[in-house]
Amino acid sequence: MSSLDLLGISKSFGATEVLKNIDIHVSEGEFIALVGPSGCGKSTLLRLISGLDEPTSGDVVLGQHVVNDLTPRERNVAMVFQSYALYPHMNVAENIGFNLRISGVPKAEINQRVADTAAILDLTELLTRKPSQLSGGQRQRVAMGRALVRNPSLFLFDEPLSNLDAKLRVQMREEIKRLHAKVRTTSIYVTHDQIEAMTLADRIVILNEGIIQQVGTPKELYTKPANPFVAGFIGSPSMNLLEGKLTQSGDTIQIELDGGVTLPCPQTAPQSASGRVIIGMRPEHLHLGEAAAGAINITGRLDHVEPTGAQNHLKVKFGKNTITATDNTLQDLASNAEVTLSLPTDKLHIFAN
Amino acid sequence: MSTKSLSLSATATAKYGFLIVSVLITIFPFVWVAMMGSHTRAEIFSAPPPFYFGDDILNNYQRLLEIMPFWLVLWNSLTVATLGTIGAVFFCSLCAYGFFAFEFRGKNIVFGLMVASMMVPPVLMLIPFFLTVKFLGLLDTHFAIWFPGVANAFGIFLVRQYMVSSISKELLDAAKIDGCSHFRIFWSVVMPLIKPAMATVGIVMFIGLWNNFLSPLIVLSSPDKYVLTLALRSVQSFANTPWGAVMLGTFLSMLPLLIAFLFFSRQMMAGLTAGAVKG
Repeated sequence: MSSLDLLGISKSFGATEVLKNIDIHVSEGEFIALVGPSGCGKSTLLRLISGLDEPTSGDVVLGQHVVNDLTPRERNVAMVFQSYALYPHMNVAENIGFNLRISGVPKAEINQRVADTAAILDLTELLTRKPSQLSGGQRQRVAMGRALVRNPSLFLFDEPLSNLDAKLRVQMREEIKRLHAKVRTTSIYVTHDQIEAMTLADRIVILNEGIIQQVGTPKELYTKPANPFVAGFIGSPSMNLLEGKLTQSGDTIQIELDGGVTLPCPQTAPQSASGRVIIGMRPEHLHLGEAAAGAINITGRLDHVEPTGAQNHLKVKFGKNTITATDNTLQDLASNAEVTLSLPTDKLHIFAN
Repeated sequence: MSTKSLSLSATATAKYGFLIVSVLITIFPFVWVAMMGSHTRAEIFSAPPPFYFGDDILNNYQRLLEIMPFWLVLWNSLTVATLGTIGAVFFCSLCAYGFFAFEFRGKNIVFGLMVASMMVPPVLMLIPFFLTVKFLGLLDTHFAIWFPGVANAFGIFLVRQYMVSSISKELLDAAKIDGCSHFRIFWSVVMPLIKPAMATVGIVMFIGLWNNFLSPLIVLSSPDKYVLTLALRSVQSFANTPWGAVMLGTFLSMLPLLIAFLFFSRQMMAGLTAGAVKG
């Protein structure tokens, strides 16, 4: 187990700069998720950490050592791939033990370690099967076994659950969490699924266009997003982001939204926010019902309802904007009905635009 | 019987008829050669020629051994074909792996040139081939026959295309993470997965080397180094060519090919059709 430091990492492919000056510190035993939209550079960053690619500039530091010039094997990192990348011609035991065989570990020890790993991952019954005879979840576990058997200093996961169906994904997520709690190996987990990141990681790194947008715990990212990108990326349904400007009349500061609607600006508005702003309101913080005192009240017309079972997503038009609110009471609302949504002032996010 | 099923059975009959005729046309020369190998020269040239097995096979066999060291020549052919095949399967796969797994400047140009070289008629290369072999002092050696083909454009192209269609790059990455060197990746991960393509290259090379006549003709001069094609051709210059013996020798020389095809035909088909249908 080691700590990991990425110091000023940049990576370019020709004229295209994919990663720009990335600095991250990962403590020993920490579980970090790299999250971002497709093409944001998260998988590239993982390949740089693993040693499959070289950074254009910057250093990868494992423990106390700069490992830029070391091979993946010398870095003692293990990686679980999106497609599992199991060797199709080898059975489960051979797949798990392959890296030990390459390292020249005695056969008896290989057999022992493979058996131990298989027991942890509940693969003992499947050791003689070929990957083609396994289900998606079993293949995923073999891929994890292959990484686990060598006792690596760093675990790298490259979207390992994205090929699984929704139910299996939840199950495997729990399994990864349980496994990490047990082995406490430093782990970097790449995903574009924010739920996976939120549920698994100690801290999350949000990337967009090769730049780190914010690093923080899941709670920090949810409650204090650093910018509209993070605000929109974390949370489901996404945060409502509306553009407007701050205006002052007398002692009162107001938010004049594009489209003509004006909202009161809470005292908690950041000093830096002036002029053009983007305001953010999480759908789950918008409460349907009577206008509440001390809250921001929005009255609009219901455009349509998206039922999800446990809650309804209300699409409400006000001014020229349409916002989403969640309704846990599952009220039957007529289309085009007038609705009032109230938002506690401390739940309003204001970002400088 | 309805009109539809009548037309269906007519189609099936036509199809099977066509296939049967094709098969007969294909195997006729083999059967014909085998039959001729059991007749005397006089019987062969009688009119109409005999289309049945005769009883002169032992005489023809003795005559065959008199006119050429048949088993030595067969051994020479086997040596040349086997060494060339093993070499080609290994080096074509290795080279194909290079084109598949590595990114390097000019890769597509080199690959394109290599593929384009397949368009050059082999006859055009005979004189440069002879001059090169002579310059290297390899005249009258088997090495000069089998070695030049061990890294050939057809084999490299075929194996590389097979790799592209059947091996994911993540598999190579996984092997690197597992600590494999490039050669180990090729040997332990890639080679077991490209067996059909290797079998195809193998059988095509074996047939090509076995039937090769031009290269031995310009390289070999000692009769004890002759390969089958050359030896069988050389006895035809005899006055009164013993055609029965020549036909028997020709038939015997076909047997290793038929046996090889029997064993590898399945892999060969798999190799040739890989990637044609998305699985």
